[in-house]
Amino acid sequence: MSASSPGSTASKPKVVFEQVAKDFERRGEPLRVLDPIDLVVDEGEFVCLLGPSGCGKSTLLNIAGGFEPPTTGRVVIDGEAVNGPHPRRVFVFQEYGIFPWASVWDNIGLGLRELPKEQQYATIQQTIDLVGLTGFEKSYPMELSGGMKQRVGVARALAVSPDVIYMDEPFGALDSLTRLTMRAELIRIWQTRRPTILFVTHDVDESIQLADRVVVFSPRPGRIAGIVDVDLPHPRDLGTQRYGEIKNQLYELLGVRHAV
Amino acid sequence: MIADLLLFIFSLAALPLAGRVSESARRWIAPIAVTGLGIAAWSAACFLAQSQIFPTPWESFGAIVELAQSSRLWNDITASLFRVTWGFGLATAVGIPLGLWIGWSARSFAALNPLVQGLRPISPIAWIPIAILWFGIGDLSAVFLIFLASIFPIMVGTTAAVQNIPQVYVRSAANFGLTGFDLFRRVVLPAAMPQIITSLRIALGVAWLVIVAAEMVGMQSGLGYLVSDARNMGKRYDLVVAAMILIGLIGIVLDVLVRQLQNFDEVRWGFAKR
Repeated sequence: MSASSPGSTASKPKVVFEQVAKDFERRGEPLRVLDPIDLVVDEGEFVCLLGPSGCGKSTLLNIAGGFEPPTTGRVVIDGEAVNGPHPRRVFVFQEYGIFPWASVWDNIGLGLRELPKEQQYATIQQTIDLVGLTGFEKSYPMELSGGMKQRVGVARALAVSPDVIYMDEPFGALDSLTRLTMRAELIRIWQTRRPTILFVTHDVDESIQLADRVVVFSPRPGRIAGIVDVDLPHPRDLGTQRYGEIKNQLYELLGVRHAV
Repeated sequence: MIADLLLFIFSLAALPLAGRVSESARRWIAPIAVTGLGIAAWSAACFLAQSQIFPTPWESFGAIVELAQSSRLWNDITASLFRVTWGFGLATAVGIPLGLWIGWSARSFAALNPLVQGLRPISPIAWIPIAILWFGIGDLSAVFLIFLASIFPIMVGTTAAVQNIPQVYVRSAANFGLTGFDLFRRVVLPAAMPQIITSLRIALGVAWLVIVAAEMVGMQSGLGYLVSDARNMGKRYDLVVAAMILIGLIGIVLDVLVRQLQNFDEVRWGFAKR
């Protein structure tokens, strides 16, 4: 169905959704939340899953993350079917995913327990510097702003140098200015390390600013309404004509008139 | 009578004052003024009733002084604290692990919770005959009763604490490969800790509350024994009230002590105003 993005040659499939469908049970009746989804995400690709709330995009992400089993179909990563969470594929939750009882330092070190002490120290400090939390090593999450808390969440994921990062509306709880900064930083980090990123959002602008490809979902039961390539170089200029065209395309796929 | 009048006037005068002084001073002035008014009302009631038996506040305070001057008071306080320490300590040592287990495992919850809920409403006083039968007359019986009174708040609170751990923490832990003891030490226990501390606070209150009942198993020392002893030996109601006041004051101190647990960095998040 969906070929790999045209611009990138020699791309290698990383996360492959094969006929992934999900039913929930409601008062004994099965309720379809996701129609069978086929999607190939390439290695190092940044893909946004865009859709209205309740369209099943978060469910799809949870299935890929191994937190929920699909009703039918499967997700294949590196040739193996997902059957549970995996330390090389890390989830960044919308809010409160980091542990409030642990310092910034200990939160970020969570996935590094197996490493020798010296390597742990070096990696934690390096990650803290990368996300701009230097000086807050000993702080606790309750002492940080929303944006800084989410930096800890991102840093905790980055510290293990994951192959895949799943992000479920990670900036949804932040104010719009902080959100812009966080997006720019995420792109900077993604460009340095090139993990594969699946990013769930309901914000059209966010998806255009971040993604190589935007996968648009229709409302319940969720299915792919269309896939749009964002062929704009980073840093992306929100004022260009091409940006506007892509935006119109996405709104059309969402079936929403955005001229108010 | 003059002392009462002065107390009444000062307390009344202090109340509006509490509105104007600094936050920290207000925290002291208001409760002291309210207590002062209460004591004045108590005294006035004694004067109006002209009771020969019920003690006035000043007679009761005099009884405290009398107790303090005899060697008995210190003896009674330490005896009671000794029993509460052991009963509460054992309840903590047993209740927290049991609560963690019942809260974490759905199967153990299904199997054990009905029994826990059935035993919980039985007053420790109802256990007194059985305590004497099993442990005889002595400290062991009292410790057992205090243990019974405080284990249920700890167990039930810990169970609920574990069941209320947000799914996102458990998922984070699973994502980073935490299992077994590591999962417990790094996630389950710290996530439940604030609520466990609250249940410890409630349990210590209950443990101290039942000290009077627990010392009715034929004890010859303790503040609870002092209450029944003062009543039996010549109707010394001033001593009864004195013992009651002391139980209340020590209860405040115990609560302040256990509340210090809330100040650790690892649990402060659970008590912050949101």
